[in-house]
Amino acid sequence: MHLLKTIFLSIILIAPVKANTIYDLIKIPHLEIYKINTENKLKYFYAAAPFRLGTQKNIVCSNPNKKALEKKYKIIYKNLSRYSYDYLKKINLKYIVMCENLSISELYTAGIPDNIMKTLILDIKFNEDYFERVIHHEVFHIIYLQHREIFNDGEWIEFNSSKFKYAECSTCTKNIGLKKYDKTKGFFTEYSKSTAAEDMAEVYSHMIYLKKNEINQIRKLDPILDNKISYIKNKIKQIHNSFTFGD
Amino acid sequence: MIKKIKATVFEKIILIFLILLGVATFGAYFVILNKCLFIKNYNPKNINFKNPNNIAVLKAPCGNVIIELYPDVSPNAVERFKTLIKTNAYDNVAFHRVIKNKLVQAGDLEFGKKGSLDYGKIGNGKSGLGTIKSEIDNNFNFLKGSVGLARTFKNDTEDSQFFIILQDEPLYDGEYTPIGKVLYGLDILEKIKHQRHSEYVLRPNFIKSFKMLN
Repeated sequence: MHLLKTIFLSIILIAPVKANTIYDLIKIPHLEIYKINTENKLKYFYAAAPFRLGTQKNIVCSNPNKKALEKKYKIIYKNLSRYSYDYLKKINLKYIVMCENLSISELYTAGIPDNIMKTLILDIKFNEDYFERVIHHEVFHIIYLQHREIFNDGEWIEFNSSKFKYAECSTCTKNIGLKKYDKTKGFFTEYSKSTAAEDMAEVYSHMIYLKKNEINQIRKLDPILDNKISYIKNKIKQIHNSFTFGD
Repeated sequence: MIKKIKATVFEKIILIFLILLGVATFGAYFVILNKCLFIKNYNPKNINFKNPNNIAVLKAPCGNVIIELYPDVSPNAVERFKTLIKTNAYDNVAFHRVIKNKLVQAGDLEFGKKGSLDYGKIGNGKSGLGTIKSEIDNNFNFLKGSVGLARTFKNDTEDSQFFIILQDEPLYDGEYTPIGKVLYGLDILEKIKHQRHSEYVLRPNFIKSFKMLN
């Protein structure tokens, strides 16, 4: 045991300090640059080895397979390219971290937003069917965190019928389906019913992802969603006046 | 009667060789100790500058580092930097964070001064002038020799600390406020004391003086 300790200490003492600019900037280890010279100045990194984060080390993600990374990067890049540099600056998003099997406290998740570090961690293996839309859902969480004073959960809850109650938290419910309802009735998906913030993120992501005429159709048929869409539209305008949704 | 013994030629050669070896060893000792040997020192008075009003001269242990400041790129940051230079605030301040071949950082006026160095707090000190807004909306490229203002994790927290990069750092573009670039003396910065196992330096080197050329 003593020998092991000695060897371990020797390695620490012999190993020189390694300069790691990415770690210095966003405090996530084992990342490497995937692409940094993008038009909207988003910088893409990928996990070169598994990493653990957080004070409890409860955020875990693995290094992705190269082929999958190549494929998913194109999708992520295409979707995030619709955001201008000015918009991204206002919402405080600059770094995208791509990894595989992202989990927080052993619960798998599509993304983890961190507006303080200007970082969005994305699981490139997350549900293929909704992958593109979920990117925007996670972007909304960055917006919500960065502009907490703009979004009022109380106001939002008022849009729903008085009988409806959200779950205690986003992971407190088993109803986490992401498939869009055919008949929306105030909610785009089952997951919308988890919390007000998740509901807002679902509305925002659908507003980005669906075509304009589809959104208009939903607005005509569903007065609750019509209100919710107007709310998100107004709030985003407050943040960045020239931002446009849909096609 | 003492009989005089004459040294043979071979013995004389051995003696001369030993003397030379002694001199060489002694000389080498000083050469090894003197990290500044073979480092060219630049005298700013012998150089013509396009904008002499924006030239600052940082005197480090091995010589002068000549920096051109960019008020057009970051007007507020350069103004703050010039204010501190003109009040000699940076004199005797430690290069407290040094990463070999990557960057040197100095400018902690509160905990980094010679004589009152506080290893527990160094890097967190303030100038007393308050923080200034980040100036990152420019297309500045952080290439080797670029000088920037340091900050906390949040923007708009720049104060007196600055860093000079010893290699290109494209990830710093749009992240830190640029204030200038080293024109002469990068090799002098490369000789600043660093620690192998830590970014923070025990018994660091100090800025001897930092002055504007004009």
